[in-house]
Amino acid sequence: MTIKNKDSYEPDRPKFSELLANPEVKARWEKVRKYFFLRESTYDMSNRCNIRCDGCYYFEGEKQFAEENGSVEAWRNLMQAEKKRGITYVVLAGAEPSLVPQLLDVCYSEMPLGSIATNGFKKIPPSVGYKIHISVWGNDETSLRIRKAKNLLKKQIENYKNDSRAVFVYTFTKENIDEVNEVAAELIANNCKLTFNVFSSPVGYAGPLRHDEASLKRTRETMIALLNRYPKNVLFSVYNAVAHTHSKGLHDLYSCSYPRCNPSQDIGLGRSFRQYRTDLNWDRAVACCVPDTDCPDCRHYAAGSAVVTARLYRHVNNSASFKSWLDYVDTYLAVWVMGYEKGKNLCTVAIEPPPNAGS
Amino acid sequence: MPESNDKKGIIQHVAEVIIGELKLEDITADTFNPDMDLVDELGIDSMDLATIALVLQDEYKIVIDEDDYPKLKTIRLIADYIDEKLTAKS
Repeated sequence: MTIKNKDSYEPDRPKFSELLANPEVKARWEKVRKYFFLRESTYDMSNRCNIRCDGCYYFEGEKQFAEENGSVEAWRNLMQAEKKRGITYVVLAGAEPSLVPQLLDVCYSEMPLGSIATNGFKKIPPSVGYKIHISVWGNDETSLRIRKAKNLLKKQIENYKNDSRAVFVYTFTKENIDEVNEVAAELIANNCKLTFNVFSSPVGYAGPLRHDEASLKRTRETMIALLNRYPKNVLFSVYNAVAHTHSKGLHDLYSCSYPRCNPSQDIGLGRSFRQYRTDLNWDRAVACCVPDTDCPDCRHYAAGSAVVTARLYRHVNNSASFKSWLDYVDTYLAVWVMGYEKGKNLCTVAIEPPPNAGS
Repeated sequence: MPESNDKKGIIQHVAEVIIGELKLEDITADTFNPDMDLVDELGIDSMDLATIALVLQDEYKIVIDEDDYPKLKTIRLIADYIDEKLTAKS
């Protein structure tokens, strides 16, 4: 066997066991590692949507043209086959899953862990016990302009307040950074949970929503301020803010492990992840969580949840780095897994992501 | 801690670490097939492997580079890897 010997053992670097000697850290590690069995794939449920947003990933790419398979039995068979190949977690997305509740039911009956990405306009029946991520792009005025949807936030809150499945996902664009304050206040007044996403341009997109360095910096500051203001309702950490608003995208920082960017099929996402289109086919060459994103600009919360989490090894160089990674994983699980409760963040200072061995 | 650093001892200890970290039942270090494919047959994933690598890295005072994780598919391959690293160090 040929092995790399590019670096030698560093006696000054803490041992993993030393990092775990802190009882608070050890407890968090034991809490999150119970979920290391999660193996995800994602599924487009329908090629229809009840609203049409500027910069929508689904309607930017080719997958919108896949035929829609609405057969409950076909979906049941798919879920059973997915279980057999080791998938334990499903992400049901594009274009708008709430339009096919019968398919959501069958997925839930076969695969008990998962989440649904929805615009929140139509309520998903309580029988579907997945996490529900409701996309928020601003206040009602902005939603009307960008998403052509009237009273969207009001409707989203009506549908999902006091619903333990729901997490509202505010996507920061270059244009809506300050607006988050009024939106967050309204969500928190209705006791909603909130997390953050960062607009990542679809391939070829050069419109006004695309971030630049200044808007990323302001987004980071705003995220951290909201996290400090509403620690019970905002599911996030300082390291989440750092990872998703860095001038480098997630791929540059952490080497994206989705098949689209990762040719290895030995282990991890490169081996097991698939992104099914509505015709229940998938294509390895474009398989990732949001397939029509411009990879260098990718700062998606969904991508980070897998990619940052997978980089445990790089975050054990020191205590702050490991605590930050634990905060990130704790946030990911609270956002994506029903019944998982977010703990208090362990690291409240911003640390730089570790050097990327792959770059 | 590993009792001996000969190949047999390393195989034994790697098996113990895997059993301990993954909380495997109905298997002992003596009955663990060192050639079992850990990914295909035991179903371990990248996070499990990373955890095992970190523990072994501590105990043998070597660096197990993350780029090498995919090569560590069986206990014997892990033991070979550790053995090579220890030899290179000495």
